[in-house]
Amino acid sequence: MQKDPDYYIQGVLDANRLMLSRTITLVESSLPAHQELAATIIERLLPHSGNSVRLGITGVPGAGKSTFIDSFGTLLTELGHRVAVLAIDPSSSRSGGSVLGDKTRMIQLAASEKAFIRPSPTGGTLGGVARKTRESMLVCEAAGFDVIIIETVGVGQSETAVASMVDFFLVLMIAGAGDELQGIKKGILEVADAIVINKADGDNVQRAELARRQYETALHLLTPDNPLWSPPVLTCSALEASGLLDIWQTVTKHRRIMTDSGDLTRRRARQSVDWLHHLLSEGLRSWFYNHPAVRDYLPNLLRDVEKQSLSPAAAASMLLQKIYR
Amino acid sequence: MPHHPDYQKWEALATKLMKGKPFSSLQWQTPEGISIKPLYTAEDLEGLDNVNSLPGLPPYVRGPVATMYAGRPWTIRQYAGFSTARESNEFYRKALAAGQKGLSVAFDLATHRGYDSDHPRVTGDVGKAGVAIDSVEDMKILFDEIPLDQMSVSMTMNGAVIPILASYIVAAEEQGVSHEKLTGTIQNDILKEYLTRNTFIYPPGPSMRIVADIIGFCSKNMPRYNTISISGYHMMEAGANSVLQVAFTMADGLEYVRTALRAGMNIDEFAPRLSFFFGIGMNFFMDIAMLRAARFLWHRLLQQFEPKDPRSSILRTHCQTSGWSLTQQDPYNNIIRTTLEALTSVLGGTQSLHTNSFDEAIGLPTDFSARIARNTQIIIQEESEICHVIDPLGGSYYVESLTNSIINEAQKIIDEVESLGGMAKAIESGMPKMRIEESAARKQARIDQGLDVIVGVNKYQLKDEKIDFEIREVPASVRDEQVDRLRRIRGTRDQAAVDRALAELTKAAEDGGNLLAAALPAIRARATVGEVSDAMEKVFGRFVSTTRCISGAYASEFQATSETLAQLRGRTEAFLQGNGRRPRMLVTKMGQDGHDRGIKVIASAYADLGFDIDIGPLFQTPQEAAKMAIENDVHVVGASSLTAGHKTLVPALVEELKKQGGEDILVVAGGIIPPVDYDYLYERGVKAVFGPGTSVIDSANRTLDLIEKHLGPTA
Ligand code: B12
Ligand SMILES: Nc1nc2c(ncn2[C@@H]2O[C@H](COP(=O)(O)OP(=O)(O)OP(=O)(O)O)[C@@H](O)[C@H]2O)c(=O)[nH]1
Ligand SMILES: [Mg+2]
Repeated sequence: MQKDPDYYIQGVLDANRLMLSRTITLVESSLPAHQELAATIIERLLPHSGNSVRLGITGVPGAGKSTFIDSFGTLLTELGHRVAVLAIDPSSSRSGGSVLGDKTRMIQLAASEKAFIRPSPTGGTLGGVARKTRESMLVCEAAGFDVIIIETVGVGQSETAVASMVDFFLVLMIAGAGDELQGIKKGILEVADAIVINKADGDNVQRAELARRQYETALHLLTPDNPLWSPPVLTCSALEASGLLDIWQTVTKHRRIMTDSGDLTRRRARQSVDWLHHLLSEGLRSWFYNHPAVRDYLPNLLRDVEKQSLSPAAAASMLLQKIYR
Repeated sequence: MPHHPDYQKWEALATKLMKGKPFSSLQWQTPEGISIKPLYTAEDLEGLDNVNSLPGLPPYVRGPVATMYAGRPWTIRQYAGFSTARESNEFYRKALAAGQKGLSVAFDLATHRGYDSDHPRVTGDVGKAGVAIDSVEDMKILFDEIPLDQMSVSMTMNGAVIPILASYIVAAEEQGVSHEKLTGTIQNDILKEYLTRNTFIYPPGPSMRIVADIIGFCSKNMPRYNTISISGYHMMEAGANSVLQVAFTMADGLEYVRTALRAGMNIDEFAPRLSFFFGIGMNFFMDIAMLRAARFLWHRLLQQFEPKDPRSSILRTHCQTSGWSLTQQDPYNNIIRTTLEALTSVLGGTQSLHTNSFDEAIGLPTDFSARIARNTQIIIQEESEICHVIDPLGGSYYVESLTNSIINEAQKIIDEVESLGGMAKAIESGMPKMRIEESAARKQARIDQGLDVIVGVNKYQLKDEKIDFEIREVPASVRDEQVDRLRRIRGTRDQAAVDRALAELTKAAEDGGNLLAAALPAIRARATVGEVSDAMEKVFGRFVSTTRCISGAYASEFQATSETLAQLRGRTEAFLQGNGRRPRMLVTKMGQDGHDRGIKVIASAYADLGFDIDIGPLFQTPQEAAKMAIENDVHVVGASSLTAGHKTLVPALVEELKKQGGEDILVVAGGIIPPVDYDYLYERGVKAVFGPGTSVIDSANRTLDLIEKHLGPTA
C-alpha cells in the first residue's frame, strides 16, 4: 500500500480511474492511518473540487433508483458530461457483510468510459456513510467528473445526510395503490427539490399521472424553502428512458436560478457550516466516550439508572462534572 | 390416532426399539415443508381426492394414457448437441442405431441468444455447450439422413425460437417434408428463461407475443407438433424443491393458456398440444408423487377455461434426471444416482425421458458415457419387467398421501402467484426467483455441514480422485469453421432478397403479423439466425435482467452455536480491523453462460460470512468485468464458468486487469473446469480454482488466505 499522498493526488488529478478508486478506498477505510492519509489528500484536492452538479437521489426500495441512474446517467454522458455515481448500499447488519447489487442495474452506464460508479456498503454506521460519501464526492470532482449522483435508499437516515451535501435532491416515487406517501418519510418531501414518479410506462402511465397530480397537491400545502423554487413533480420511465431530458432541464434550470440568486453559494456554505457542526459533535462524542473518566464511571451509572436508584439527570451531571474537572 | 386394531401394539414394539429416543424423532421434515411419518396406513388414504381413479381418465393421477407402458414404453429421448452440425448429426445417428427413439437438440449459447458465430460477444461460446446453428444450411446438415417426417424431434430453444423453428421447418421443406407431417416439441417456454435459464433475448412483452404466434401458427399448420414445453426442470436444477417446481410450472402454464386465449384462440385448439417437462431428483418417492400431483393439478386448474376436449386438460410430460445431483467426485456413482432417478420418472409415469451421463459434472457426454446413460433406460424397459403394470404405486398409502400433500402445498403457492396477477407479474416482482435462490442457498448450507449426505463429496470421500475416462473437449477451431461457412453463405445468397425478407419481418414485428410465418421467407432466402433475430430486436429491444440477491438464508441453516460460522465471521471481522474494510470480491459471469445458481449461492453465502460482494450482471465481457473490479476496488474477482469458456475468458480477464492497471487484483475461478485445465489457468495468473462440490466454507477460507497473503502483514 502506497503511503505517499502525492501518489494519489497526482493520480486523481490525472483522472486515472484506478487511482480514483484507490483514493476512495482510503477515504472509506476505518483505519486511523488511512483516514489520516485520506485527510491530507482531501485537503490538497479541495481546491480542485466543487465544480460539479451534485445530485442526490432517494426513494423507497425498488422505486427504480439504480435503473433511473443508469438511463439518466447515460443520457448525461451522451450530452457530453462525465458522470460519477456513488451508491450507498445498506449492508446486512448481522454478519456485517453485504451484497452490493445496485451497479448490476447500471449496466449501460457502467460500461461507459465517461462514467465511474462506486457502490459502497454502509458498514452499519450512518455517520460514517455521510463522511465517506461527502469526501468521495470531492475526490470525484477533483478527477474531473462534472455530475455527481448519489444513490441512497429512502427508508433509513442516510438520505437526510445526503440531502445536506447535494445541490439538488431528487425523490423518486412510484404510483402505488392507496396511500401515496406510504413507506417514505414525509420529512423527505420537505427537502426535495423535485419529485419524480418513475415507471410511467405500459399500463402504468395513467396511474403515474394521477400520482403526479396528488403529489403536486400535497406539495402545494408545504411552503417552499426558497421563494424562487417550488419543487416540481414530474413523471418518467427509467426503463424506457422517457421523460429524462425534462428532468435534466429541471436540474439545470434550478442551477441557473440558484447560481444567479447566489443561493447555490449560500447553500453550499450552509452545508459546510452544518458539516463543521456535525464533525464537531461527532468528534466530541467519540472523545467523550473514549475519555478515561467516562469509561470508568459510565457502567456504574448506567446500572444505577437502570435500577432506578439514580435519576438520569443526576447521572449525567455527575459524569460531566468529572470531565470538567 | 390411527384406529388400526393393531396400531397400539405396533407403536409399543417400535417404541421399544427406539431405546429411549422419542418416537417423534422418526418424523422427517422435507425441504418442501412436508412432514413425513415412519409409517403410513389405510387411514392416510381417507378422504383424499387423488386416489382411486383410472389411467387415461380424469383426474389422470395414474397416467395420461389408458395403457401406459403396458401398451408402449416411454420414449427414450437423450438431449445432446455440441460442436458443429456435422458432428452432432453423426452422434445422433449412432444413438438412434443403438436404441434411442427420439431426438432432442441442444444448441450452443450463441445460438440461444440470437448471435451468429462471428459476433464479438460470443468468442468463448461457439459450439461449446451445444451445437452451433447459424442458418438453415447448418440445420440441414444437423438432420442429414434423418427423415423428419418419421423422427420426432425436440428442440430446446426459447430465446431465438423464431429463427430456429423456422430453420427446422425450412430444412424439412427442403427434405420434401410438408409442415403437417412434423412431430416433436419446441420448448418455447420463455417465462422460465427470466426465472432460471437465462437465454432470453427480448423483453417479456414481445417474448410472450412470440409464444402466442408460434402456438397460433403451429395449431393451424403443424397439428402433430407440441408448441410449448412448460418446464419445471430448470427450476429444480436452479434449486427449487419439488413443491416449488410443480407450483411455478403450473403457474407458467396458466399464463400461457391465458396468453393464447387473449390472442383469440379457443382452448381446445391449442391446449392439447401443450406439453410439460419436469426434473427428477434424488428424493425417490417425493418426485414420483410430484408427477402424479402435477397431472391432478393441471386437470383441476384447466377446468376454469371450460375445455370440451378431454385432451385439453391432460398433462403429458418429458422428464430429465437431475444433473445437479451428479458429482465430479467419484463419478461412477452417478450411474447409480441416475438409475434411481430414472426409476422415479418411470414410476411417476413420464412419457419420455432423458437420463444423464456419469460425466455430467465434468463436461459434455462422450460416446461412452452417453451409451451407459441410454442403456440405463433400455435396461429398465427391456430387462426389469417393470412396464407390464400401470402405475404400480397407485394406492400406496405413502405415495398417495404424499401426492396429496404436494397438491395442497403447491396449490397454496399457485394461489399466491395468482394473487400477484399471474406468473408474468410474479416474475417481475422477483418472488419466484428469490424463493428458488433461497432454497438453493439452504441446500448448499446443509451440504456444507454434512446434514444432507452426498457420497464422495461430504462423506466417504476418495483420497485420490482419478479421471480414467475420456473427456469431451470442443476445439476452438469450431468457431473458425462456423465463421467460414457464414462468410460463404453471405457471399452466395441473393442479398436483395434477404434484405427484403428481413424488412418484412421487422414490419411484422411492428404491425403484429405472425412472426413465425414472416420469418420463413427470410430463412428460405438464407438469412442467418443472428440476422433474423436482429430484425425483430430492432423493434423489441434486448432485455437486460435485474440481478437481485437474497441474504441470510445460508447462515440461517446453521445452528446459532456453529463454530464454523463463528470462525469465518471472526476472520472477516479481524480482516476489517486490520485493513479498514471487509474482504471485497466481485463475482462475475462472462460470456453467454447463464448458469447463475453457483454464483448466487457464493454471493449470498459469502455476504453471510462477512465479505462485501459485488455481483456483475450476466453476460459480462472480460473488459467490463475488469473495469468493474477496478472501480469497486475489490481484492479479488471470482469468475464462475460452467459452459467451457474458461480457457478463453478467464485468462482474458487477467489480461484486461493488467491492461487497466489492476494487476494486483487477484483472480480465482469456479464451476465446471476439468481438472486437466487447472494448470493452464494457474500458468495464466489464476490463483485458485474451485470445482463443483467445493464447500463454500472451504473456498471462503482459501480465498481469504490468498487475499491476506497478497496484502502481507497488516499494521
Ligand atoms: C444447474 C444446471 C443447469 C441449470 C442452470 C440453472 C441456473 N440458473 O443456474 C439449467 C437447467 C437452466 C441449465 C441449463 C443449461 N446447461 Co446446465 N448444468 C447445470 C448443472 C446440472 C449443475 C450446475 C450447478 O448449478 N451446480 C450447483 C452450483 C452450486 O455449483 P457450481 O456452479 O459448480 O459452483 C460451485 C463450485 O463450482 C464453486 N464455484 C463456482 N463458481 C464459483 C465462483 C467463485 C468466486 C467461487 C469462490 C467458487 C465458485 O463453488 C460452488 C459451490 O460448491 C451442471 C452439471 C453439474 N453437475 O455441475 C450442468 C452443466 C453446467 N450445463 C451444461 C449445459 C450444456 C447447459 C446448457 C447450455 C444446455 C443447452 N445447450 O441448452 C443450458 C443453458 C444454460 C445457460 N443459459 O447457460 C453443461 C456444460 C458443459 C460444458 N461445460 O462443457 C453441464 C456441465 C452439464 C453437462 N455435462 O452437459 N443447466
Ligand atoms: N416498468 C418499469 N420498471 C422499472 C422502471 N425502473 C425500474 N424498474 C424496475 O423496478 C425494479 C427495481 O429497480 P431498481 O433500479 O433496482 O430500484 P432501486 O430503487 O434502485 O432499488 P434498491 O436499490 O433495491 O432500493 C427492477 O425490476 C426494475 O427493472 C421503470 O421505469 N419502469
Ligand atoms: Mg438501487
